Amino acid sequence: MSRLIAAAAIRGANGVVAQASQELEAAIAAYGPDKPVAFPNTAYYLPVTLGFMGHRVERLADLRPVIKHAKELLHPVPQQRLWLPYLGETLDSGVATLLAEEAIEGIRFVRGEEPQKIQAGTDVEGADDSGLYTLNGPIDDVQLRSWGIQLVDGRMPGFAAIVGAAKSNEVAVKIVRELQQRGILVFLSGNVNGRSIIDQLLEEGVQLGYDTYTVPFGRDTISAIYALGFAMRSALTFGGMKAGQARDLLLYNKYRVFAFVLALGEVDDLKYATAAGAISYGFPTIADTLIPNILPTGVTQYEHVVSMPFDEIPGANDLERAEKLVQKCIEVRGVKVKISKVPIPVAYGSAFEGERVRREAMRIEFGGRASSCFEYLRMLDPDQVEPGKITVVGPGLDGVADGGALPLGIVVDVAGRKMQKDFEPVLERQIHHFVNGAEGVQHIGQRDITWIRISKTAVAKGFDIRHLGEIVIARMLSEFSAIVDKVQVTLYTGKAEVEKTMALAQAAYRDRNERVAGLTDESVDTYYSCTLCQSFAPNHVCIINPERVGLCGAYNWLDCKASHQINPTGPNQPVPKGMCVDPVRGEWDNVNDFVYRHSNQSVSRFTLYTMMDAPMTSCGCFECIIMLIPEANGVMVLSREDPSMSPAGMTFSTLAGLAGGGLQTPGMMGVGKYYLTSKKFIPADGGHRRIVWMSSVLKDSMREDLQTMFSSIGEPDLMDKIADETVATSVEELLAVLEERGHPALTMDPMF
Amino acid sequence: MPVTVEVPTEKWAGKVIEVKLGATKEEGGSRAGTVTVGGETTLPFLTFEGGIPNQPVVAAEVWDVEPADWSPVLLEAWGNAVKDPVVWAQQAAALGAKLIALKLRSTDPDGQNASPAEAAATVKRVLAAVDLPLLVYGPGQAEKDNDVLVAVAEASAGERLALGLCEQSNYRTIVAACLGNGHVAIGRAPIDVNMQKQLNILMSDMGLPLDRILMDPTTGGLGYGIEYTYSVMERLRFGALQGDRMTQLPLINTVGEEAWRQKEAKAAEGVPEAWGDLAKRGLSWEMLTATSMLEAGSDIVVLRHPNSIGIINGVIAKLMGR
Repeated sequence: MSRLIAAAAIRGANGVVAQASQELEAAIAAYGPDKPVAFPNTAYYLPVTLGFMGHRVERLADLRPVIKHAKELLHPVPQQRLWLPYLGETLDSGVATLLAEEAIEGIRFVRGEEPQKIQAGTDVEGADDSGLYTLNGPIDDVQLRSWGIQLVDGRMPGFAAIVGAAKSNEVAVKIVRELQQRGILVFLSGNVNGRSIIDQLLEEGVQLGYDTYTVPFGRDTISAIYALGFAMRSALTFGGMKAGQARDLLLYNKYRVFAFVLALGEVDDLKYATAAGAISYGFPTIADTLIPNILPTGVTQYEHVVSMPFDEIPGANDLERAEKLVQKCIEVRGVKVKISKVPIPVAYGSAFEGERVRREAMRIEFGGRASSCFEYLRMLDPDQVEPGKITVVGPGLDGVADGGALPLGIVVDVAGRKMQKDFEPVLERQIHHFVNGAEGVQHIGQRDITWIRISKTAVAKGFDIRHLGEIVIARMLSEFSAIVDKVQVTLYTGKAEVEKTMALAQAAYRDRNERVAGLTDESVDTYYSCTLCQSFAPNHVCIINPERVGLCGAYNWLDCKASHQINPTGPNQPVPKGMCVDPVRGEWDNVNDFVYRHSNQSVSRFTLYTMMDAPMTSCGCFECIIMLIPEANGVMVLSREDPSMSPAGMTFSTLAGLAGGGLQTPGMMGVGKYYLTSKKFIPADGGHRRIVWMSSVLKDSMREDLQTMFSSIGEPDLMDKIADETVATSVEELLAVLEERGHPALTMDPMF
Repeated sequence: MPVTVEVPTEKWAGKVIEVKLGATKEEGGSRAGTVTVGGETTLPFLTFEGGIPNQPVVAAEVWDVEPADWSPVLLEAWGNAVKDPVVWAQQAAALGAKLIALKLRSTDPDGQNASPAEAAATVKRVLAAVDLPLLVYGPGQAEKDNDVLVAVAEASAGERLALGLCEQSNYRTIVAACLGNGHVAIGRAPIDVNMQKQLNILMSDMGLPLDRILMDPTTGGLGYGIEYTYSVMERLRFGALQGDRMTQLPLINTVGEEAWRQKEAKAAEGVPEAWGDLAKRGLSWEMLTATSMLEAGSDIVVLRHPNSIGIINGVIAKLMGR
C-alpha cells in the first residue's frame, strides 16, 4: 500500500466524518431528531449503511450510530517515519468515508438540497425555463431492477463511476461514448476546481439520463456515494444476501459487479478516501493524473490503483488517448465486453457451416491451388492488441476478375488475463467454424493449407475481405470470453507480405509441433477427464494424458486444459495424478479415485499403459479398436473406416458393441488413431512391436507418422511386416503372413 | 404355516431438497396455500424404506391463447374454457390440479407476439382468479422468454412462481429475475445427467439457492424416448440419494405436451383399427406417460387432458398407499 495514498485517504476520511458529524448535529438542532430521512423511490433506506451495518436510517437521530461507527473506523494519519503497511487502516477509512458521505446526502435531502440543480442554460435539453438542470441523485428501485438484471445476466458488462473533470470537453465526450459503445453504464460526479464532467457533457449537448445509460449524480465527490449505493442494492436484490452481511455483499460485488472508478483530474484527499471505500467493493481506481500505483492483486481482482497520466498516454491526439484510457479501465477491472451479433452484411449461423461455394458461384478464392493462404493466431501482450482493430494490407477484391484468386494471410492477435500460449492452436482451429458460419463463405483446412471461397452473392450484398476479421473478432469474444479479452485481426493480401508473414506462421506451427511432441506424461502433474459421452455411456470416463489423445480423436490434453479454463464446470476437469501406484502399467491413486467417483462407482482401477490389466473404458466413439490376437502374440488395430472382416473373426461394428458402453475388457480397447504414433502406445505390453495387423486405411492415411515412429524404435521395416485386410482376414492367414515376413511379435515374451 | 418374510431395505445417505411453490399472504404472496415438492429419502413410492414427506403433484397446463395445434380431443374436453386462461385455470383447479402451469404462448414472436406487459397482466389475472401456486412458461424462444419472464417476475414479485425454461444456452436472465423477485426457476437439460448437473451448478453459481430450482430432464413421450427419460431420472435420483448435491432437486415432467404430440394420441384416420377409439387412446397415452414418469421419480407432472388430472391424482394416492 502506498504511504502517500494511505495518508491522503485517512486524512480525507477524518475530514468528511467530522463534516458529517457537524452537519448532523446542526440538522437535528434545526429539524428535530425525528425528522424523516430517506432517499426517494427506494426500499433500501440509506443502502450503503444498510448493507454495511444492517441499520435502517429512517429519521435524523438514526444517523447518530452511523457517525459513531464511522468515527470508530477512523485512524490517525500515519507519521512521516512510520512505514508499516497501511492497507487495513486505509480500507477502514474508506468505509468510514462512505458512511459519512451517505449520511451527508441524507441530511441534504432533509434540507431540500438534493437532487442538485445546476445552472446549465435554457438551451440545454432537460433544463427548465430558467435554465436550471436537475441532476439525477440516487437511482430509483425500478431502474435498479432493470439494470441489476442486466448486470447479473451479463448483458451489461459493468459500470464506470467517473469522478472529476476531463482534460477538455472533447475528451469528456469521447470517454463517455467509448463506455456507452460497450454497453457500460456511466455514473458521473465530482469536479476539479469547480468544473465537473457533468458541465462538460451538458455543454456539448450530450443527453444524460437513464435512457442513455449516463447518469449525473452530482457535481461533488460526495455524490459518488450513489454509485456505491447502487452496487450495494444490486447485491441485496440479486445476491440473496441480507442487510448487514457486509463481507458477503462486498464479495458479491467483487466477483459479479464489474465496476471501476475513473478519476479525472487532480485527486484530493476526499477522492482518495472515497476510492479507498470503492476498493472494499473490489472496484479499482484508474486515474488520468500522476499518482502512486497500487498494482498487486488483493482486495480487487487485479490492480487496485492505476495511474495513467493523460498526456503521457501514447496516441496521435487526445481522442486516441481517451480511447486508450477507457481500454485500460476495462482491463484493470477485467470487464468482459461481448459482441452479440456478428456485424457482417450476410446472414450468419451454424446452418451455413456445411455450405459449399461452387466454382461458378464463386467471386474470389484464397488458397487451394490458386494461391497461398494461411491463418495464424498468436497471443500478444495486452499493450500490443488494439481491441476490434481490423487492418487489410494489400489489394482488395476490386482488381480481381470473377472467379479469380488472391493470396491471403489471416493473423489474429489475442490478449487476455487468462490466455496461455498453449491455447493458441485450440483457438486457431476455431477460425474454421467461425468463418464457415457466414452465408456464401466456405472455409476448408487450417494453418497454411487454409482455403477460403467467397460467393458472388455474398460480395453483391457487401461482403468484403475485412468482414473475415469482423467474424473472427465477434465470435472469439463471444465464445472464449473466459480467456480472451481483446482481439485484433490483420489480413494480408499482397504476395510479398503473405509470404513474409507466412514464414513467421510456419515457424510458429513448427514450434507448436515440437511443444506437443515434447509434452510428455512425465512433464505434467495433472491429467484431464472427459465425461462428454456419459449421456449415452453413463459409466465411462476418459482420462486424457499428454501422450494419449482422447479415443474419439477430437480432444487432446491441451484441448481439455483450454476447455476447462473456458468452461470450469464443464465435462473436462483437471485430475491431479496423485501418487504413482505402478509406473510401468501407468496407475495413479488419484486417477483411480476420480474414475471411481465419476463412473457411478463401477470402475475402480484404471491403467494408462497396458491393455491387459484394467484398461481404460470406452464410450463408443473410438476411431480404432485394438484387440489382442493371442495366437499371434500381438494386437490388431481395426479402423472405424474399415468394413472388412478382421482376424478376430468379427467386423468393426460387431466388435464396437463389445468394446464400448463403459465396459472394462482386458485385451480390448478403443483408441484415437493418433495414439498409434505415441511413444506411450501400450508400453507395458511391448509397444508398437505388438502390432501384427492394421486396417490398410490407417497405414495409408498415417504412413509418414507411423514410419517415423517405427524407425525411432529401431524397426524401420515394421510397416511392411504388419498384415492388413488385403492379406489376412483370419488368424490362420495372419500367422502365415507374420511367419513369412518375420514379424518381431512372434519372438517376443507372451503378452499375458 | 406362516412364513416371516423380511423385506430388504436400502439405507440412503442423501435426501431430495424440498422446494416450496407459491407464497401465502403472510409470506409476501397471495396464495391460499403453498405446495412443497421433494424431500424424498427413498426411491419413488417405497414408503416402507424411507420418507416421502411430499407426494408428487399434478399441474394442469393452461395457455393464454386458444391452442391452435392441440388435438381436437383435448379442445373438445375443455370446451370454451380454452378461450380464457382465467376460466381454464379455475376449471383445472376445480378438477383437482394442485398447480397451474401457465404457458404464455401469446407472446410467441412468430404468432401473436403479445408484449411482456400484456403477458404479465395475464399472469396477474390468473393469480387473482385461482389461489393455487403457478408455474409460468415463456413462449419458448430465448430472447422473448427473457423479456416476458422478467416482466412477469417483477409484476408478481413475492408470489414464488416457478419460471421456465432455463437452458444451458439461456438461463442467466431468468435466474436473475428469480433472484430479484423471490421466484423459483425451472432448468431443462436435454435428457443428460451431466448437463443437468452442470445447469444446476451454473444456476446456483449465480446465487440462486438450490431450494429454488426444479429440474426438467426433458420428457420423452410413450414410445418416443420415454425409456431415455426414465433412465436419466433414475440416475439423477440415485445420485441424489447417494448424496450428490447437484442432483438433489425435485423433478418436473411436461407429460401432456409430449404425450399429445405423438401420432398415437392424434391420428384418427389411416391407422390400424386395433388402435381403437382416438379419444380413449390419447388419454391413455398421457396417463401411461405420466405414470411412468411418476415411477421414475417425478415430483410434478404437467398434464393436458381434464380427465387425466383426477385419474393421475388417484394413481398417486394409490401408489402412496392412501
